[in-house]
Amino acid sequence: MTASTDAPRVADRMGPPAWGAATSEPVVRQRHTRERWVSVLFLAPSILFLLITSVYPLLYSLWLSFHSWNMMLPNSRPIWYGLDNYRNLWESEAFRNSIRVTLIFVVSAVTIEFVLGMGLALLATSRIRAIGLIRTVLLVPLMMAPVVAGVLWRTLFHSTYGVVNWLLDLVGIAPQPWLGSPSQALPAVITVEIWQNLPVVAFVLAAGIQSLPVDLYKAAAVDGASSWQVFRRITLPMLRPVIIVVLLLRIMDAFKVFDIVFTMTYGGPGQTTELLSMLIYKTGLRFFQIGQASAMSWVFLIVIFIISLFFIRKLQQNE
Amino acid sequence: MSERAMSPAINYRLQRHLKTGLLYGITGLVLIIIAFPAYWLVTTSVKVGADQATYPPVIIPTRFTLESYEAVFQTAGVPRAFLNSTIIALATTALTTFFGSLAAYALAKTYLSFALRRAIMLWILITRIFPPITTAIPYYVLIKRLHLGDTYIAVILTYVAYGLPFVIWLMLGFFQDLPADIEKAAIVDGCSMWQRFRRVVLPLALPGLAVTAIFAFIYSWNELLYASMLTSFNAKTVPVVVAGFISDQYLRWGEMSALGTLMIIPVLIFSSLAQRYLVRGLTFGAVKG
Repeated sequence: MTASTDAPRVADRMGPPAWGAATSEPVVRQRHTRERWVSVLFLAPSILFLLITSVYPLLYSLWLSFHSWNMMLPNSRPIWYGLDNYRNLWESEAFRNSIRVTLIFVVSAVTIEFVLGMGLALLATSRIRAIGLIRTVLLVPLMMAPVVAGVLWRTLFHSTYGVVNWLLDLVGIAPQPWLGSPSQALPAVITVEIWQNLPVVAFVLAAGIQSLPVDLYKAAAVDGASSWQVFRRITLPMLRPVIIVVLLLRIMDAFKVFDIVFTMTYGGPGQTTELLSMLIYKTGLRFFQIGQASAMSWVFLIVIFIISLFFIRKLQQNE
Repeated sequence: MSERAMSPAINYRLQRHLKTGLLYGITGLVLIIIAFPAYWLVTTSVKVGADQATYPPVIIPTRFTLESYEAVFQTAGVPRAFLNSTIIALATTALTTFFGSLAAYALAKTYLSFALRRAIMLWILITRIFPPITTAIPYYVLIKRLHLGDTYIAVILTYVAYGLPFVIWLMLGFFQDLPADIEKAAIVDGCSMWQRFRRVVLPLALPGLAVTAIFAFIYSWNELLYASMLTSFNAKTVPVVVAGFISDQYLRWGEMSALGTLMIIPVLIFSSLAQRYLVRGLTFGAVKG
C-alpha cells in the first residue's frame, strides 16, 4: 500500500498479519502475570455481555430452528421437528419471494448508492469550495432515524398529497400510486434507502480520495490527462481497497434494513416489499411460528456470511 | 501574434469557468434534493392544519404555528416515551462506553496472548455482520421467559449488547493512536494498570471517548426493531411511537413531523460535534480510522 497512510487504513484489523496493536509492543515485561489477570478482568464484563446476548441467542435460535413451536398457543412447548422447518422453507413461496425481493433491494440500492456516492465524493473533493456545505447537508439524512425517514417519505410518496407526485405533475406525468402499487412500492423503498445511506458512501470515498497522494495527480496534469482518464487510471485503481470496504459495509447493512420497510409498506402491497427481515419479523413475532422463523434466520445468516466472506477475502488479497 | 495567442487562452479560461459553474450547479441541485425531505419535515411541523396535507403541497409556508408540537405533547404516552428514550439512551451510552473502553484497553495492550485477542476481535467483527432480526426471535422468547418484557432493563441490556462491539472497535483505534511513551512513563512511576487506564489513558483519549459515546447514544436513540418488540407501554421509546403514529392516524402530518423533528434534533446536535470522526464511525468493522 503506497496510498493512504493516514486516513482509512483498510482492514488493518482484519487480515492475519495486519493486527494493528502489534506496533504498540509490550511496554514492560515484569509484573506480566498480574497485568494479564487485570486484562482479563477488564475484558470480562464485555465478554459476559456478548456471551449472554449474542452467542446464547444464536445457539438457542439454532436449537429452535429444529423445533416446531407456535408460541401463540398457551402452554405450548417446542416439539422436535428435525429438518422440517428447513424443508418447508425450501418449498415456501413466501420465503423464495422474500429472498428475491431482498436481493433486488440490496443489489440495486448498493449499486446506485455507490455510483451516486462516488459522484458526490468527486464533487466534494473537486475544486469547488463547498466541502463544508456538502458535509453538513449529507449529515442530515445520515443522522435521521430510519423510522422518521420512513414515515417522512411516506408523506412524500403519498398518492394524493405527496410532493413526488406534485413534481411529476409539474413535468406533465400523471400521479402514481407509489406505495400502493405492487410494481412501484419496492423502487420507492429503495429510493429511501439510497437517500439515507448515500452519505455513508460519499463520506468514506471522499476520505479515501483525499488520502491519495497528490503527486500522481500532478504528474497526470503535466501529461495532459483528461479528467476521465485521471479518474479511470488513477483514482479508481488507487481507491480499490476503500471501494471494497464501502461495498462490504453497505451490503452488510442493506441486508439489515427493517425500519424503512416496517414504516413505509410493512412488506406490502401483497408481499412485494417483504424483505427477509420483514418476513422473519412477521413469521416470528406476529404469527409466532418460532421454529420456522428461527430456521429463516439461520438461512439468512449463512447467506450473509458467505457474501461478507467473499468481500473480506477480496480485501485481504488487496493488502 | 498577440491576438492569435490570446484567443485560445480566453477560450480555455471561459471553458474553465463554465466547467466550474456546471459543477456548482450540479452540486447545488443534488444538495437541494438531499436536503429537501428534512426541510419538508421541519416546515410541516410548523404549518397550520390547512397547509399540511393539501394539493398542491405548500412548499414554502407563510403561516406558522406550534400547534402540532402542543398536540403531540398532549398525545397520551408521548412525554413518557421521550423520558423513556432519554433514560434508556443515557444508560446505554454510559454502560457501553465504560465496559467497552475497558475491554478495548485490554485488547490494545499485549498482555493477553495474540490468539485470544485475535479471536475476540474476530468475534466482534462477526457480530457486526449479523442482522439484528436474526437474534430477535430467541431474544423475544428469552425476555418473555424472564418476565422482563416492557422493562427498561430488557431494552438497555439489548442495546448494550449491540453497542459494545462498536464501542470496543472504535476505542481500540483511539487507544492505539496514543503515544506509547506516556504509558511507559506511568509504568516507571509505578502506576497499576487500572491507574494507567483511569488517570493516563482515558483522559488522553477523552475526545475519542466522547465521539464513541455520541455514536452509542444515537444508536440507542434511533433503534426501532428491538424497542418495538420488547416494549409496549411502560418502556415504550420514541421510535416506536413514531412508527405507530402513521398507521393509526394517517394524515396527522403536522404532529408526525413535530415528533420526527423533536427526535432528530438531539441527534443532529450531537453528531455535528462528532463530525470529524464520522468516517471512523461509519466504517466500523472494516477500517482503522
